[in-house]
Amino acid sequence: MSQVNHGRRALVQSIGAASGLLASGASSITFAATTGTLAVAIPSNPSTFDPLNQTNHDAMVVNQLIFENLIEIDGNGNRVPMLAKALPVVSPDGLTYTFELREGVRFQNGQPLTAEDVKYSYEYVLNPANKAYRRDVWTPISSITVEGRLKVKFVLKHPYRAFLDYMTKYMGIFPAGSREKYGPDFFRHTPVGVGTGPGIFVSSKTNDYVELKRNPDYWRRGYPKWEKLLVRIVPEESARLAFLLSDSVQIIGAPSGRDFVRMRSQAGLVGESKLARGSSLFIAGNNRKAPFDDPFFRRAVSLALDRDTICNKVCLGLVEPSATPMPSSSWWCNRAANQSQSFDLAQAKAMLAKSKYAGGASFDLTYSAQSYLIRAADTALFIQSQLGQLGIKVNLKPAELTTVFSQVALGNHQAALLAVVSPAEPTFLSKALFSPTEPFFKAAGYDNPTLAALIASSYKVESRDKLEPVLHRIQDILAADAPIAWIGTLKNTNLWRKNVRGFEVSEATTLRLAEASLA
Amino acid sequence: MWILRRFSSSAVVLLVVSCILFVMCRLTPVSPARVVLGADARVEQIVAFDHEHGLDLPILQQYVKWISGAVSEGFGNSFITGLPIGAEIVQALPVTLEVVTLAFIFTIASSLGLGMLAAHKEGRLADQIIRTACITGLSLPGFWVALMLIRTFALDLPWFPPGGLATWEEGWSAHLLSLTLPSLSIALYYTAVLTRLTRSTVIEVLSQEYVRTAEAMGLRSSTVWWYVLKNALPPIVAMAALIYGYMFGWALIIEQVFNLPGLSRALLTAILQKDYPMVQAVVLVITTIFVVSNSASDVLQKIINPAGNAR
Repeated sequence: MSQVNHGRRALVQSIGAASGLLASGASSITFAATTGTLAVAIPSNPSTFDPLNQTNHDAMVVNQLIFENLIEIDGNGNRVPMLAKALPVVSPDGLTYTFELREGVRFQNGQPLTAEDVKYSYEYVLNPANKAYRRDVWTPISSITVEGRLKVKFVLKHPYRAFLDYMTKYMGIFPAGSREKYGPDFFRHTPVGVGTGPGIFVSSKTNDYVELKRNPDYWRRGYPKWEKLLVRIVPEESARLAFLLSDSVQIIGAPSGRDFVRMRSQAGLVGESKLARGSSLFIAGNNRKAPFDDPFFRRAVSLALDRDTICNKVCLGLVEPSATPMPSSSWWCNRAANQSQSFDLAQAKAMLAKSKYAGGASFDLTYSAQSYLIRAADTALFIQSQLGQLGIKVNLKPAELTTVFSQVALGNHQAALLAVVSPAEPTFLSKALFSPTEPFFKAAGYDNPTLAALIASSYKVESRDKLEPVLHRIQDILAADAPIAWIGTLKNTNLWRKNVRGFEVSEATTLRLAEASLA
Repeated sequence: MWILRRFSSSAVVLLVVSCILFVMCRLTPVSPARVVLGADARVEQIVAFDHEHGLDLPILQQYVKWISGAVSEGFGNSFITGLPIGAEIVQALPVTLEVVTLAFIFTIASSLGLGMLAAHKEGRLADQIIRTACITGLSLPGFWVALMLIRTFALDLPWFPPGGLATWEEGWSAHLLSLTLPSLSIALYYTAVLTRLTRSTVIEVLSQEYVRTAEAMGLRSSTVWWYVLKNALPPIVAMAALIYGYMFGWALIIEQVFNLPGLSRALLTAILQKDYPMVQAVVLVITTIFVVSNSASDVLQKIINPAGNAR
């Protein structure tokens, strides 16, 4: 096993070194895309174009250009109206959301958008028979009423803060009756004409490309500025970089950290990053298994992590240090709780001495062997050496990404190093990890009814003055019991060519291409 | 009769491979539902997915269902994309065949020439250069060679595209250009292998008495070399046939580095996504190619040397 691991590590290191050589001096421009064509590269195939069943952040770039929502998140992370004329009017009890739709919006088949389409789309998602993957996030909806041709009202069963956040991601509006007319395969593979977005589906080939063309009747006049958009599927990081350097594509998603840092200041290229507020890098120790069953041991691990070095040196500045699930630079963060877990080896040793494992312990740390967003292998290696100073032996267990997540979801792991991206709302991740009914509860297996009740109550308040105290109490509990050792918040990165205009990094791990164009 | 026996044993090999492959796919601890539905899928969603795709049936029943579906429905649909696997293979197979065949042609042409030259100039400078080049070719990892070829011939010298496949509609020259670097990346290693084999085989044949006799009889040099080559060919043909099959394995890495939408890339993606039906179908197709190329090699050897012992 260890031979296999060493072999794999050597292979990954060699590929990294070779891609470094690749990156170190190339700047020629050839095999450029045709005028009016914007080409981008993403790492993975969209398994579906249906907005209701998306599970892959990178692949969402396609369906979000075809389908649109009532509201969206702009480049700065703010909610802004999309198909709605303005943000909704919310009743004082937080139960009723009324949206006025824009005039003159048409589906790509020419049919005008009406409130009936919105009602139909949401009722389709809510119907269990349709098996929408994200149906759960919409179940707080009690009813949807058409108030006028362009006015629709949502009534909720209980206050639900994340309602508008989820509206920007796990949904898309399609014409009333279209599902029955075309069937599920149509939405999955060839959704022509059923969205209101800037891109019309043309064709796709698995493992190769997806082609969209400009929607000439798009409601945002003058957009998109490209005639054709080619989304190329390029899983290999160094291949994506080569495509960018040769101008075969103009924007790439998910560059490797090393390529990003090296290439962002290269002549002819631009590289920027943006904090993904809903994301986190953390060690999920299984609280139901030794040695993570002891809160003193967990605190010792948390205190022994030099987050600044991990985030700024090992992860090359692409992670913002935070000892809680909330980004340290956001108002969500409880600074005192964050500070209380700062790197302090002496305190870590004192905590370990109080634990059942004062004489030392060992555990297996599972992590993804595939590099995505960060190189987990580098971080795991550093953690191994840091915890070694405490007398804790960490056995590194690289595995394939899906295997890591499925073993964690089943609670089969002892500890896992995870990088997770979720919607940019403060308690999505905490809910997923600490609510006993959630699929990822077994990642930590930490059952604290007070914490679960606080997380549930956080969804009933919207304003900052009411939400902030709840978030702070959640973080106080997490700091005191350390069910998970948080490391930091991930940043999304993109590299693009200087002749690209109107492109900015999105807080969600996908590309925003409606405004992008070539100079 | 011999050919019939050879091909029936190949059919048995395929059947055994399909069984082993099926069982090994099912031994992985992760349900493909985790990929399709997302890491945070609920247990009931996973159970429903497994039921819908027959993954909750006894393994023997699953195998019978798959193997009969493979014949009647062209391997069914992909778990991940929902697209018909047969059609996906029909799209991807020609890409891999083109890359591998071009690499094979390059390998055969260069290794026969270089091997015979090295044998002819045994111990002299040309032989030493060729031997050193062969050792270098054998030592370099394929993916590294591929990256260096991209760096040199696609970025520093923009002669070739860095990856992707230009279709025939984009012009035959663009198409061939897009296949050149991937083919070279595969061919380099096998050229080294086959050159060394050709050299040693030819040297061995050259030392045979009938060659000396032919030379002493004053036969033209080209005639002597024709006899030498003809007698040296059987082991080279056998190895070449094996190489053609092995090249599909190398294509796994090369198609990934060059981003070619071929069969090997489809296989790698399917493995990572736990797309069992796709993995099974693609491996079966590649195994078939491997088995057929081996059988073809036996037939060829029989034709070249009817007195040989190919069975």
